[in-house]
This record gives sequence, C-alpha cells and structure tokens, in this order.
Amino acid sequence: MPPLRVEYRPFRCRARRAIAAVFALTAALAGLADTAHAAPETFNTALPVPKGEFIFREQFLYKRASDDPSPADREVEVVGGISVLGYGVSGDLAVFGVVPYLHKSLDVTLSGGERVMRTTTGIGDARLFARYTVFHDDAPGRTFRIAPFAGLEVPTGDDDDSDAQGRLPATLQLGSASWDPFAGVVATYQTLAYEIDAAVSYQINTAGDEFTLGDVARGDASLQYRLWPRRLSGGVPGFLYGVLEANLIYQDRNEIAGTDDPNSGGVTLFLSPGLQYVTRRWVLEAVVQLPAFQDLNGTALEDDFTVRAGFRFNF
Amino acid sequence: MFRFMSGSIRIAAFGLSLMLLPAAAFATQYQLKVDGLACPFCAYGIEKQLTRTDGVKEIEIDINAGTVTVTMAEGARLSREQAKRIVEDAGFTLRNFAELPAAD
Repeated sequence: MPPLRVEYRPFRCRARRAIAAVFALTAALAGLADTAHAAPETFNTALPVPKGEFIFREQFLYKRASDDPSPADREVEVVGGISVLGYGVSGDLAVFGVVPYLHKSLDVTLSGGERVMRTTTGIGDARLFARYTVFHDDAPGRTFRIAPFAGLEVPTGDDDDSDAQGRLPATLQLGSASWDPFAGVVATYQTLAYEIDAAVSYQINTAGDEFTLGDVARGDASLQYRLWPRRLSGGVPGFLYGVLEANLIYQDRNEIAGTDDPNSGGVTLFLSPGLQYVTRRWVLEAVVQLPAFQDLNGTALEDDFTVRAGFRFNF
Repeated sequence: MFRFMSGSIRIAAFGLSLMLLPAAAFATQYQLKVDGLACPFCAYGIEKQLTRTDGVKEIEIDINAGTVTVTMAEGARLSREQAKRIVEDAGFTLRNFAELPAAD
C-alpha cells in the first residue's frame, strides 16, 4: 500500500472526526423538533424548530492539526462552511440536512525530503436526519426534552480527487464513498438563566472504495449561561450567553482493504468556550474547540484547535 | 373638533362618536400563560404561529412572565382550543387562557 495513503489516514480520521463531529453534531444535534432554544454550537441535534417553520444555521469553520510525530511532518488545515437546514414537520418531529463546503489542505514532507501541499475543495458528504421528541415537560420559564434522532451520511463528496502527486489519500478526500447510518439521543434542560444539552450518538461507517473509516461514538454536552441581561424585565430582550461545551469522541481504526490502519482512531476530548447572542429572530455564535485530551493510535495526527463562528435564523 | 360644526350637526356627531367608542373597544384581548418559554428564540416561534391565525392583530410577549397577550381584530375571537393548538405547534404547553377585560 502506498506510504502516503497510510500516513494520511490519521488525518482523514481526524478531518472526518472534526467534520463529522461538527457536521454530525450540527446535523445530528440540529434536530430540534418542538421548541427553540439557544442550542449548542458544536452539535446540531438540539436545534429548535416549531411546526411548519424552517431553521437555517451557517457555521464557518477553521481547523488546524499540525503536531505530527512522524517524519512526514504533516500539517492539515480545513477551512469552510457548514450549512444546516431544519424543518418542523410537527411539534415533535423535525428533519434536518447538513451540507459542508470545505477547502482541505495537507502539507507533507515526502520520503525524498520534498515538501508538498495537497489540496481539495468542494462539497463534502451531506448528513440527513430526523429527530422526534418523545418526552417533554414544560413549566413556567423552563423546559425539559428528550429526543432520539437517526440519520444517514450520504456520499455527496468527491472521493476520487487527485493532484500532481496522484490520487489524494482517502482521509483528504471530501467524500467517503459510503452510506453511513447514525443514531443517538439528545436531552435539553432550559431555564431563563441557563441551558444544558447532552447527546450521545454512534455512527457506523460502512465500506467505501477499499477504505472504511472507523465507527464513531461520541458524547456531547453544552452549558449556556445567560450573561446579559442580568435581570429580566418585560418584553423579549436579546440574551448573551457564555458557552462551555465538551465533546468526547471515540473513533475506531480505519480499514484499508480489510486491514486495520494502526495509525488511525483513538479518543479525543474537546473543551470549547464560546459566546452566543440570541434574539427573537436570529442568533450569532462563536466557539473555539480546544483538545483537552487526545489518545490517538500510532502516528495519528493530533488536533491543534478548531474555530466555529456563524449565525442562525428561522423563517 | 365639534366647535367647527353647527349646533345640530355637533350634537349628531357627538352622539355618533359615543356610539362608535364601544365598537373600537370591542377588539378582544387574550392572555396566554405559556409553559416552556425560556429564551428569545422560543418567543419568535410562538409569535409566528400566532401571526398565521386569522384575526390576530397584535402580539405582545413577556418572556420573564411567560405570558403572550394577543389582541384580536374587531369582531374576531380566539378560542382556548385554537390557542392550545397554536402553542403546542410552537413546541410549548398552554397553562392558562383568559380573555382580558375590555379597556375603558
């Protein structure tokens, strides 16, 4: 097997993880069927959508990973946008679509010592999912909801891009060439002062073109605390939330032609401080995902940080 | 404005204005107490559901009190069943529904 391909697998794993995390989280957690909350920034399964309404979220993404223990000294950057569209089919059922548009670049030192950059740009794999609120308990100024969700990551991204060096490694490709189902459950507790969201999910990554990403299990949590206004009077003022989120992500090893890649998969914990300004019609948000813990296999590339910033509105 | 009119017309106009006053005050108001309202974005969801309802003229939301005050167009009314459905479609729970006394 070509050395480059093996070396890039960790990146693929990471890119996939980051993208899948953001997208999946965005998409998966975006399933807000019945009510509108502030909502987490690093996952989408908690997005609120009233019946007959649409919600649109756009997140701009910058991600960097450069701490490569191998001689290849890989540096990976991902820049792009993640678009999320949700629709409230009923008060309890919402459907979501998440489409990433990304520019991915890889700086790497080849075996001959030459430093090259390999890039690809375009639409990645889209995620489609539905969320159904099975339990909700409302009281004055607070709400608690539990909603399972399930969906599919579809191979809309190009999985066969190439450059002067040849075909790009699988982990650098925008698409996986596979149909990957995922499912999970999200819970939300919101008061006028704060909101807590928690979600767990699992994604089965099926075989693509001789390459299979490892399955992904993740747990996500988000705390949004109202910083301003400190005291509420009448009307509907805008809320400024301080945000702290955590994403625990486990990814199994990738497979190439049925063989495990020892330099892929592992466990990462992100801690993400951020801000969110919520008004009646729109939301502005920004968050920085910092890897607090990374236990990756072999020479899998570790994340440096990820920045997400964007807006959300319903219509 | 009555001083610019002749005596009989002035009396007639004054009487007519008295007759019209109750009609103007006939626009009914309802107060919905809504459970689950906990952020500004939530408020817009319920506001949009109400805006689609025939006869709704004005909506005022107090998120801290959890109340939605709905002013109807003249002659239009809102039933409790309508209010309950609207609130549930927005993803919330209707705790209380009351018609407010007409303003003096």
